[in-house]
Amino acid sequence: MAGALAGLKVVELGGMVSAPYAAKLLADVGAEVIKIERPGAGDPARRRGPFPGNAPHPEKSGLYLYLNANKLGTTLDVSRPEGFALLERLVSDADVLLHNLTPPEMDRIGLSFERLSRVNPRLVMTSITPWGTTGPKRNWRAADLTLWSASGICYVNGAGAQYPEMPPLKAFGQQSGFQGGAHGALATMGAVLAQARDGEGQHVDVSIYESLTSQMELFFEFWPYMKMVASRLGQRPIQPLEVMECADGYIYVCCVEEHQWRNFVELMGNPEWAGEEIFSDRLKRAANWDALKVFLEDWIKQQTVLDLYKKAQARRVPFAPVSTMGDLLNSEHLKHRGFFVEIAHPVAGTYKYPGAPLKYGRTPWEIRRPAPTLGQHNHEVFGARLGLGANRIDELHRAGVI
Amino acid sequence: MAKLPLEGVRVADFTWVWAGPYCTLQLAHLGADVIRIETRTRPCVTRLLPPWPDAKPGINRSGYFNQYNQGKRSLTLNYAKPGALEIAKRLVAASDIVTNNFAAGVMDKLGLGYEELRKIKPDIIMISLSGYGDTGPYHKYVAYGPAQVPLSGLSSLTGYKGWPPMQAGFSYADPNAGVHGAFALLVALYHRRRTGEGQYIDMSQWECAMGLLPEAIMDYTMNGHQPPRDGNRDALIAPHGVFPSKDRFENSGTMIDMWVSIVAADDDDFERLARAMGNPDLAREPRFATAAARKQNEDELETIISAWTSERSAAEAERILQAAGVAAAVCAPNKVVAEDDHLKERNYWVYLEHPEVGVQQHCGMPWRMSRTGGGVRAPAPLIGQHTDEVLTKVLGYGADEVARLREAGALE
Repeated sequence: MAGALAGLKVVELGGMVSAPYAAKLLADVGAEVIKIERPGAGDPARRRGPFPGNAPHPEKSGLYLYLNANKLGTTLDVSRPEGFALLERLVSDADVLLHNLTPPEMDRIGLSFERLSRVNPRLVMTSITPWGTTGPKRNWRAADLTLWSASGICYVNGAGAQYPEMPPLKAFGQQSGFQGGAHGALATMGAVLAQARDGEGQHVDVSIYESLTSQMELFFEFWPYMKMVASRLGQRPIQPLEVMECADGYIYVCCVEEHQWRNFVELMGNPEWAGEEIFSDRLKRAANWDALKVFLEDWIKQQTVLDLYKKAQARRVPFAPVSTMGDLLNSEHLKHRGFFVEIAHPVAGTYKYPGAPLKYGRTPWEIRRPAPTLGQHNHEVFGARLGLGANRIDELHRAGVI
Repeated sequence: MAKLPLEGVRVADFTWVWAGPYCTLQLAHLGADVIRIETRTRPCVTRLLPPWPDAKPGINRSGYFNQYNQGKRSLTLNYAKPGALEIAKRLVAASDIVTNNFAAGVMDKLGLGYEELRKIKPDIIMISLSGYGDTGPYHKYVAYGPAQVPLSGLSSLTGYKGWPPMQAGFSYADPNAGVHGAFALLVALYHRRRTGEGQYIDMSQWECAMGLLPEAIMDYTMNGHQPPRDGNRDALIAPHGVFPSKDRFENSGTMIDMWVSIVAADDDDFERLARAMGNPDLAREPRFATAAARKQNEDELETIISAWTSERSAAEAERILQAAGVAAAVCAPNKVVAEDDHLKERNYWVYLEHPEVGVQQHCGMPWRMSRTGGGVRAPAPLIGQHTDEVLTKVLGYGADEVARLREAGALE
């Protein structure tokens, strides 16, 4: 069976994570994605790795291979007039253009919705940019870390009040890019539904900064509602909600509801200290965390992770292991659900990759092809689809346009 | 303005806490009529948590609930009373999408499982956003937002060098599940418009979060290696860090320290940074002249940058560096985000009159759509605010029937 988005034509002008991840979400459920990379260097994700044997190679970067499976790969220098003209021909027949050029880059090459919608009035053009395409910061530089930092999320993470010298802390990886991509894919689908209904396109302006600021949970509203700043140095509202060390690894100790704490105390064999008044409810346990921590550490370091996890869960206490990558790959639960997928790539080889983010009951999520090698589908796209002759393609190739 | 993308789409929203409400908030932004089914017998936990204006608790006063439920309607039902379940089913029959984030099996037990709902509405689209998914040996395990981040693997990768694993966000897997869930629902809606077929979507928040860790997962599948925790640093780029500034202020008994994040991705960036710090020669010194050298001498480099940032406010460092074309940003506490002119100019903020908390500042839709618009159209509902309206106008109950149901306690 074809994917839910089979027949939807998407052009991706993206590098690194945000736009490529948005296009991946569409591609994995059936959309046809033509990816455009810079001739020569290609997508910077090709240089990020990880690489097998730690040997850098543009066709073997794990980040690139993960983000770009299911796509057709082309190379095109859209900063050259001949290149931009080919981009216009590609989008004239497309439903969606997804890109993450920054506003200064857009200005430089003349990429705008007004211009492309003249070529194709049905086009949905989604711009995923650090700050959005308008506003005083539109031209500001950004990186994953600085966006995570500007959004307010960084400020609430890190070591607690005992360690004020330790800085606010970012999450591992390229989380800003992934959130920009996920919100971008969602907004794009909204525009695609409106396009199918009305026969008209539009510009979707996705700000990664705003996508992250929207995720501050209860921390943001503490300012407008109570004029309180939420900080990594402040006290947790309730306890225990902490990573703690077992004999063989780390576990997340999590008691939100009072019955969960009571069940945990029973699991520990009802130690005498647990009956103290200062630990009698979740607010007091937070206020007296320094004392409580000592008792808990003492008991927990004698346990093993998996055993404590299963015993806690058997009492409906929501502990979780602090999973390592090895734990994930070996998890009996994830194996049973078939989460990881194996993809064979002609140059990189065959490896397991993270699979579907969720399971559709009727329409498939599937890997139909591995990530493209650089310019792999140039002839198919520029030749078979746009009708350029082989000589013309060679000429453009020699000129560095494709 | 054209019609909203999801105009005419109704969502029977059985979700609560955070992942589910974040999902249906996005649908409301796009124009869906989202009706939250709540119960006074066990209100959503976000209605019971701070922040509250004047530190005065109240079921309609929490900024947490009021943020993630903007633009939705609220219907209250007590399933223990006769008539309540019938209302839920009639609402499903009048809806296009059903959402829930209960633990596996809860909807089935209520008689609201997918197979049951399909009989009522054959083309219904339903999603469950659970912690572990509907199948697999742990599918009955209990999951809470903050525990999903460690479970996903993200915590084992996040933290200072040599320190234990740490949280990222607080319940980062929750909004992540919400946004991916909303995307999947639109995909299913697209399929339904083409074929007339509905479907069921099984989301495990755990799996959804693992898709954000390809660099680490693939380092393991390629090399049997897990990247070590390394604070704010990057494996290839230096400088890449969060640096102290001289400004701080007190708030609610806590010292609010200000920091600035700085990234110089390549040699050109580093040259601009060195010049902006008044030390252009730095970029020519062999120990910092190339990316590899900077990475190798990162401790020294960070000491030099810290000395510079420590002499000024975080905002000043940000301004100087951005003017020079360097990626820098204040490590913003909520207050700084709330006061940002950029977000104000982009009309990101929502200021609507709420009957119990007045006008407060709330986050709006994180994108703009040039033709169809969209965004927050109403403040978050009071608990049960739309019960009568939904019963009479959407479901066709008569006023006397509503009175009878209320009398019987079904609308609590």
